[in-house]
Amino acid sequence: MTDDLLQLDGIGRRFGDVVALRDATLTLPPGRIGLLGPNGAGKSTLLKILMGLIPPSEGTGRVLDQTLGGDRDAANNWRLRRLIGFMPEAEALVPGLTGLEYVTLAGELCGMPRRQAQRRAHEVLSYLELEEARYRKVEQYSAGMKQRAKLAQALVHDPPVLLLDEPTSGLDPAGRDALLRLVQELGTDHGKSIILSTHLLADVQSVCERVVIVAGGTIRGQGTVEELCARRDDRYRLRVQGEPARFKDDILGEGVRILGEAATGDWRVQVPPGWSNLAFFKLADVNDVVVRELVQDDETLEELFLRTIAN
Amino acid sequence: MPAQTDTLLRYRPWRGTLRGPLAASWAMARTSFRLLVRRKLFWGLFGLAALIFFFFFYGQYLVVWIQIQTSNQTVLFGGLPVKVANLTKFLDRLNLNGTPHTYGNFIWFEGYIVTIILALAGSVLVGNDFHHGSLPYYLSKPIGRRHYVLGKVLAVGLVINLITTLPAIILYLQAGLLYDWRVYYVDHVRQLVGILGYGLTLTATLGLLLVATAVWVRRTVPMVMVWTGLFVLLRAVAGWLVDGVKLDARWRLIDLWNDLYLVGLWSLGADFSTVRPIPQPEVWEAATVVGGTCVVCWLYLRKRIQAVEVVS
Repeated sequence: MTDDLLQLDGIGRRFGDVVALRDATLTLPPGRIGLLGPNGAGKSTLLKILMGLIPPSEGTGRVLDQTLGGDRDAANNWRLRRLIGFMPEAEALVPGLTGLEYVTLAGELCGMPRRQAQRRAHEVLSYLELEEARYRKVEQYSAGMKQRAKLAQALVHDPPVLLLDEPTSGLDPAGRDALLRLVQELGTDHGKSIILSTHLLADVQSVCERVVIVAGGTIRGQGTVEELCARRDDRYRLRVQGEPARFKDDILGEGVRILGEAATGDWRVQVPPGWSNLAFFKLADVNDVVVRELVQDDETLEELFLRTIAN
Repeated sequence: MPAQTDTLLRYRPWRGTLRGPLAASWAMARTSFRLLVRRKLFWGLFGLAALIFFFFFYGQYLVVWIQIQTSNQTVLFGGLPVKVANLTKFLDRLNLNGTPHTYGNFIWFEGYIVTIILALAGSVLVGNDFHHGSLPYYLSKPIGRRHYVLGKVLAVGLVINLITTLPAIILYLQAGLLYDWRVYYVDHVRQLVGILGYGLTLTATLGLLLVATAVWVRRTVPMVMVWTGLFVLLRAVAGWLVDGVKLDARWRLIDLWNDLYLVGLWSLGADFSTVRPIPQPEVWEAATVVGGTCVVCWLYLRKRIQAVEVVS
């Protein structure tokens, strides 16, 4: 018995000659986890393995103490799917059913007795602010309501883990914020572990504590957002007072890269290896400018992501 | 203390025992059937099926009444005195007398309604799952593919048995009450088993066939066309080949409804010498075609459902 949400040890998956995922070794504690990666990175393959939909070709792993492997219809895999609420990216609605029937059916598919599934569907739809629309047919829902209905069907049997695949796709900014708030609340207030697979870095940044970056079929990095983004010590926020043009030319001449300019004399810079920050002050003195601010600058998640997949 | 509405809006955990995946199949069947009965068109077709049932129900009653009450009476027919029993001889052809052919014929006639309903129901029951991407919703749940197929076949089975098996059982019970019920129910127990067997054969074959064709074509119009081809065109071709061109009776095997009828009559323990039209293929040949159809449909379904990406 372990407290970890999942433990993967050298998990790989081949489809014929194509290696979709290789040597994925990962241990994640319960919490809110963002799964980031470009198209074709191996994210979907990893999700399928985590849900027991496909067995890994190599390696071993456990999710919530359930062993991974075997055919998708094997008992260990459907026991695993009982512990997971999955919100698919596809529309995945059943036309003709009302919201209440849709969520009730999801509960029954998970094995809940009918009456309990019905009662629970009422509760979950109320919680997700769909109580007014629960007797309307799901195909008449707006995009935001459809996403919340999909979240409701994932949540109905109260699983400890929610696996959300692009939950905010197709939503307007207000709907997106509302859904992300709900997801975050489920994690923080109700103890759900959340694996959020998305292309939208802002979604991960606003909801997740940890990030797993997948690219080219391998796991390129994992850790808390703060850890990963603060890991670089070659970036600074530099603000100078005075005429900065010559100073700028000089630091560029020394191999410093300017990553961004917030205002005149206010830069985000990357220093070359072996650089001593004393050099900033010396060059400032030479060029008659005053260094007002020199602080280590964390990488943004976007920069981290782009750098990781570029590697 | 928080207001009651506030408490209701909060997330509450659920603690309960989850059941096995077979219960999920039943839930799926119930929901699919509910989707079907919400369509007014199906109520119209159910009405037609009920008319056929009432024809047999009151027909059986009428025949017995004529036999008991008026068979020896003479009436004037076209100015000539004729025995009532001779006037009602045409009813013998309909076999409204609680014999295996009564139930066989009843299910045969109801078959027309069943095939129309199923042709129209295919997209509602199954096609939409593929067309609107509902399948990931089902397959991401703790059930296997076979439970999905079972759920859909059960839904089709509910429709079929509501129109064929259930009314046939009512006819059986009625026949027992019209004759000597103690003798009838004991002597004709094979027919009750036969009705259930016929219903099971129809459920398995038509269920798998419907799910497979709906997975293949998905939309209502192509579905109706495929179904018409299977049950109307092939029957006409089979009749033309065997009765017109005088080819071997085995050519009638391409008429699936006829094959199901032969298997059904066998399970009812019927006398095959009175089966029309003649010649007919052997029962085991018909059973092989029916079994083969089920196997092909199952293999096709396995392949198609396996290819569905739950996570895309």
